[in-house]
Amino acid sequence: MEGTSEILEQAIEQLAKLPGTGRKSARRIALFLLKQNDESVIKLAEALISLKKSITRCSTCGVISDGDPCSICQNTKRQTGQICVVEESQDVFLIEKTNEFRGRYHVLGGVISPLDNIGPDDVRIKQLMQRINEDDEQIDEVILALNPDSEGEATSYYINKLLKPFDDVEVTRIAYGIPMGTELEFIDEATLGRAFASRNTF
Amino acid sequence: MKITNLKLQNFRNHEETVVEWAPHMNVIVGQNGAGKTNLIDAIHYLCMSRSFVSSSDMYVVNQDATFFMIKGHFEGNIRASFDVGCSYSRGEGKKIFVNESPLDRLSDLIGMVPVVVLSPSDKKLTSEGPKQRRSFIDSFISQISPAYLQDLLDFRKARKQRNKLLQEFRGNREVLLAYLEPWNVQLMEYGSRIVAKRTEVLNKFRDYLAKEYEVISGMRHEPHLEYQTFCEPSEDEETVRERYQAELEKEQDHELERELTLIGPHRDEIVFYLDDFELRKYGSQGQHRLFALALKLAQLLYFSDELDDLPIFLLDDVFGDLDAQRTEVLLNALIEHAGQTFVTAANPIPFDEYITFDGERNRKYKVDQGQISVVKTK
Ligand SMILES: [Zn+2]
Repeated sequence: MEGTSEILEQAIEQLAKLPGTGRKSARRIALFLLKQNDESVIKLAEALISLKKSITRCSTCGVISDGDPCSICQNTKRQTGQICVVEESQDVFLIEKTNEFRGRYHVLGGVISPLDNIGPDDVRIKQLMQRINEDDEQIDEVILALNPDSEGEATSYYINKLLKPFDDVEVTRIAYGIPMGTELEFIDEATLGRAFASRNTF
Repeated sequence: MKITNLKLQNFRNHEETVVEWAPHMNVIVGQNGAGKTNLIDAIHYLCMSRSFVSSSDMYVVNQDATFFMIKGHFEGNIRASFDVGCSYSRGEGKKIFVNESPLDRLSDLIGMVPVVVLSPSDKKLTSEGPKQRRSFIDSFISQISPAYLQDLLDFRKARKQRNKLLQEFRGNREVLLAYLEPWNVQLMEYGSRIVAKRTEVLNKFRDYLAKEYEVISGMRHEPHLEYQTFCEPSEDEETVRERYQAELEKEQDHELERELTLIGPHRDEIVFYLDDFELRKYGSQGQHRLFALALKLAQLLYFSDELDDLPIFLLDDVFGDLDAQRTEVLLNALIEHAGQTFVTAANPIPFDEYITFDGERNRKYKVDQGQISVVKTK
């Protein structure tokens, strides 16, 4: 085809792979970048490269981080006795925003689901057990903060079962609740039912 | 609950159809293939998110189109007024909208507009396999209890996960049992609630069935229903759960060998009897038809008693098969039902005799090649 640029088309093709970006917006982004000065485009490119090259996972808790160990595991001010078990790194970022939890995390990187060919060995359950068995972290509470769907429930159950023999480790789970600022009539029945079942004394 | 108007686009032979409905009786007359069943099937879509005629949404799209769209306006007691929409296209699949906002899950629609359907395929209910009766009772209870529908969905999920392990796990037996355990817990939790709820509803339903069968058949035989599950049916969830656990343990080897979940409400059966003979084995054509009719009328009355909003009653082409006496009984039941009713028929004769089509409360429609018009009455 005459009058088109092979290089431009290649950039559009790559940009169109991003989530939520169709060919039309990919073209708009590509043309926008062309208009920018060299420096800002190179900064973007470098940020993308280091995102992929330099970012790593904490070998202790499994969270996505700039270094290993991550800043949370390195922070001596945080309590070492508590581990909060979550499915993905983004859950850590969410819980951190609440400022409610001062312990450490363990990211499973998934939940058990035979239908998706994910068994207990395919998520970081063994690593969790290692942390609990090792002496340098004296764990006395494991908080399960997985999604309340059937896979999350099955995973919580499995971990709880593995932790049963550890008498000095308490296993807790986050409560099912009703979203703040939501009126009861707008909550689906399953959420409301669960919130009822896990009600506590006033 | 009432539907006051319906708009169809590319829904089978209805390319563009708009209808205003009467609040009580709507009788739709037309030749076979004219499109009268499609109208009430569209109403069914807005109540249950699916057809009562075809198993696939694909066949419902007009031949020359790539999508269909149904919109209806409803008025009821709990929600005074709301719109339900259903769209389907081959690329995007099916979507349900309530007041223009899409529902996350199709199942969230169920129960919003309770519906009871009477159609010629009802004879399968008593004459074919247990699956027919399970799906009857499931759609019945789901409409009165959203928690039951959620339990059904969760149970199916846990059962699939478990079956996958049973089928594909290759390794040591102890490990497999440990992997199965979390799913067993879910299976028992949801399964016990399903069995307890089925027991409770069927216990109440029995009386409705006996009464309706008597009205429709003239009391020659007494109907019974027996609920069969993996244990003595009980309304108490805890009792069922204990039995469930015992049965799972007992059948463990068998399940490992067959690589399937063998214990649970997915294998339940409801056996119908007339006096003491089993209807499915010994019933005549006529008895099957009357029994199915009694089941649906009993469902209508049960819903009317239990729910704050009266159900919509859809009758598809059922009058052709009935003799004069049964026709009268059924028509009287329709007239007594204070809710909204839709009837399709090839022949308008029996209705004119019993129903006053004033054009306000009761209306008669004529359908021809996908075109609907109100029949003017004097
Ligand atoms: Zn870490």
